[in-house]
Amino acid sequence: MNTKLIRLTSTIAAIALGVFLINAFTLLGNKSKGPIEDLFVQTGSYITSIEGYFINKSNKKKRSKSMRWLNVYKKDISQLKNPDRILLGAYDNQSKENFQPVIQLENSLNTQFSIIHIYAAWGDKSEQRFPLTRVNAINELGSVPIITWEPWLTDFDDDLHSHLKEKESRSKNGLKDISEGSYDFYLEKWVHDLKLFEQPLFIRMGHEMNDPYRYPWGPHNNEPAHFIAAWKHIVDYFRNAGIDNVIWVWSPHIAYGLFEQYYPGDEYVDWIGVGTLNYGTVATWSQWWTFDEIFGIHYEELNQFNKPIMATEFGSLAVGGDRVKWYKDAFCEFPEKYPELKSMLFFHFNNDNTLTYKTLDWYFVGDTLITNSIVDCINNWAVE
Amino acid sequence: MTKKNKQNLWQYRRARPFSQTARFVLLALVVAGVVSIFQLADWWFREEHIGSLALYIMLSFIFWYGMLRVILYWINYLGIKRPDIPAPEPDKSVAIFTTSSPGEPLSMFDKTLEACANITYPHTTYLLDDTQDPRFKEVAEKHGAVWLELVGLPGAKAGKVNKALELTDEEFILILDPDHIPFPNFLDNTLGYFKNEKTGFVQVSQAYYNQYRSFTAAAAAEQTYHFYGPTMMGMYGYGNAVAIGANCTFRRKALESIGGHGIGLAEDLITSIRLHGAGWKSVFNPVVVSRGLVPEDFGSFCKQQLKWARGVHEVLFSEVPKLFKKLTFWQKLSYSAIGSYYLVGATSFFYFLIPYLFFWMGFLPAKMHFADFILNVFPVGVFALAIYLFVQNWLSHPATERGVHWRGMVLKFASWPVFFLGFLLSVVNAEIPYIPTAKKAETGKMSPFARPLIIQLFIFLITFGYVIFKRRYITPESELFLSSEQTWGMMFFALVAVIMTIGGILAARESIKLTSEEAWETVDLENINKENKTEYIFDKKVLLG
Repeated sequence: MNTKLIRLTSTIAAIALGVFLINAFTLLGNKSKGPIEDLFVQTGSYITSIEGYFINKSNKKKRSKSMRWLNVYKKDISQLKNPDRILLGAYDNQSKENFQPVIQLENSLNTQFSIIHIYAAWGDKSEQRFPLTRVNAINELGSVPIITWEPWLTDFDDDLHSHLKEKESRSKNGLKDISEGSYDFYLEKWVHDLKLFEQPLFIRMGHEMNDPYRYPWGPHNNEPAHFIAAWKHIVDYFRNAGIDNVIWVWSPHIAYGLFEQYYPGDEYVDWIGVGTLNYGTVATWSQWWTFDEIFGIHYEELNQFNKPIMATEFGSLAVGGDRVKWYKDAFCEFPEKYPELKSMLFFHFNNDNTLTYKTLDWYFVGDTLITNSIVDCINNWAVE
Repeated sequence: MTKKNKQNLWQYRRARPFSQTARFVLLALVVAGVVSIFQLADWWFREEHIGSLALYIMLSFIFWYGMLRVILYWINYLGIKRPDIPAPEPDKSVAIFTTSSPGEPLSMFDKTLEACANITYPHTTYLLDDTQDPRFKEVAEKHGAVWLELVGLPGAKAGKVNKALELTDEEFILILDPDHIPFPNFLDNTLGYFKNEKTGFVQVSQAYYNQYRSFTAAAAAEQTYHFYGPTMMGMYGYGNAVAIGANCTFRRKALESIGGHGIGLAEDLITSIRLHGAGWKSVFNPVVVSRGLVPEDFGSFCKQQLKWARGVHEVLFSEVPKLFKKLTFWQKLSYSAIGSYYLVGATSFFYFLIPYLFFWMGFLPAKMHFADFILNVFPVGVFALAIYLFVQNWLSHPATERGVHWRGMVLKFASWPVFFLGFLLSVVNAEIPYIPTAKKAETGKMSPFARPLIIQLFIFLITFGYVIFKRRYITPESELFLSSEQTWGMMFFALVAVIMTIGGILAARESIKLTSEEAWETVDLENINKENKTEYIFDKKVLLG
């Protein structure tokens, strides 16, 4: 009986010790996750640059060669903060594994995109780190990257970050928590990887923060002052870490106004970014609006901040109006009508179900009527 | 004890006993290891990791089959048990059978038979001979062994053993491989267990004396250390110590109850499973009471492995199902696990294929970040290594057998074509001829078993060239940088396999230059520690005297 008891207790003790071991180890693993990931990021970046050196160096058709004119801007970040010419660019949802769709689009427009747009979400996963590979690739192609950086706070794992609130209540006042440093562990990772990228890039953090219906960082969860505090905290964090190659794009929703309440201040903002998408008549809440109706009526209001303006998502669906005319009107006239609108990023997304139940197709690369009219517009600016 | 003494091969060795404290530590490690495997599984099986679905399923199947085997090993270790050694009853009749075949070197028998004569427990040695060479008879008689000429019998060793069983009447039979030099106290370490009427056979550790002769020999020996130590001790603990390899002592009645020694490429294992099926108990005594030869050259090693792979699958396909109901739970598990060991050939083949499917056809089985994979596999690796090193305390001769056994791993991986061939042959139920394991190194030319490895190396080099060419001239710039990490990560994966393969090729190359030595010539029987260090229970007098 006694030996049985001893055996039983020692077995239970051994199991407990085993569980303790694995927990201790997991803790250690989580602690070392950062450094190990850092190591892999670094290695990956070296491999890419070595390959770039040996394989792409002698490539005669290098896109970056024909993009040399942009180097003046890339070398002097103040020129990118206040450019003397229009910078075109695009986002393409098919460019996860290669940027060829973006290249095809610019070829169809007979132009060159100075900016290539990508999205990145906050979180613990490897793909939620700073997208070093992608920005390196964009830089090697000769362009400047812009990252729309979305603070989805619930993508952080409870187990890894015991100091964070429960997921259900995390988004509430999430921006305040950011401003108070709760997410500095994540900023630190970005800073680490950003240091491996010494070229200029745009970051558009927490876009459409004034839209009360859409993202968790909107006014339904946060005070405007907390947005400003969070924004300043992030910018300061980066600057204090010695990061000086980021161009900060502050990007409210154009239709929800209250810009003043959300504006972090001239010292903290380099560009104003706004989405200018025409959804046509795809949904009950939408109707066919021209570019002037979407952007033009708010231009003066945006212009009061005295910063260059970027149409970060520019495009139109085909339902409910004349899409060729929409592009043509918008594109030919804007440099004259809205001289501070210094950058246009095409929103080229053929599989968009982020906002409606239907899948929306913003693609126009195959529509030569549109592409030709845009080409004409661009040629006309050049004449001027 | 000096280092030299610790490493002296010609000295009786016995694994240490397994204490309660040890069991406690091992259980804690195993629990931690199993939890880490569950954590890995939790991460592995996620929808976002699925690349090409069919390949993902296949990869998962293979990877988790491997993990399952790891868990089985760990559970087996928890059963580690070292039996006490009962003193043998006096005046039992014992026979030692050793067989000779054409081509086997005469001088080896001179040594082995002399060593048999030195065994202290009274016995009769029989040489089961089909060489038709009169000198073998002379050698047998010189050492007081009975010479039996048994020519033209089926099933090589087993056929001769069965015939000899008819011609003799001893109650116990030790079947000794001719390359094994027994120590004088051999029988003192096995006969006592037969006091238990149910004991059918007693297996002892299999140890070697030529493992220092070449990379292949060292690697082949490393592959067996754990088996003839903690693994078999665990199997004994669960009631399924198997008869495998050399030097098993049988009860005549047990062999007769199953119609004699089993015949086939893995004849020991067939005998073993049949005896278990007939209800006989078995003992594994972790002692070194003989030392023999391990293949020294790559070709002989591969031949031996092919034979075993084919034979062991045979046990899995034809014996296990037949006897399934008669075996205990642990026996079923253990024979199935041994029977499927050589499937590693098929799984290695698949692992080897992955990067080439990616480079040539664009298939990607799993979309996993390399860093994530490493992070999730790391704890499993740490606990697996900890358990591996911990159970080395129960090797039969830790001083010479400890280590991470990297040579064994390289050789195991480089043997995949052999294992795979053995697997394919069993699937189509094709025969390979009985090939006796070489006693001397077969040297002079590259073993044909190295050819698949050389082909593998060439495929790698061609693929490497192709990838460089493609990325230099075809891949658009817009894709180059985004695919860089994945491409070179895969290349690294292929390279690791190729490095293992190169290990095999080098072993084969080394084998060309090996001098064919008669290893037994250097063994001095006088140096075998004749002092009977067997620690009997029950009978302290024998221990002291």
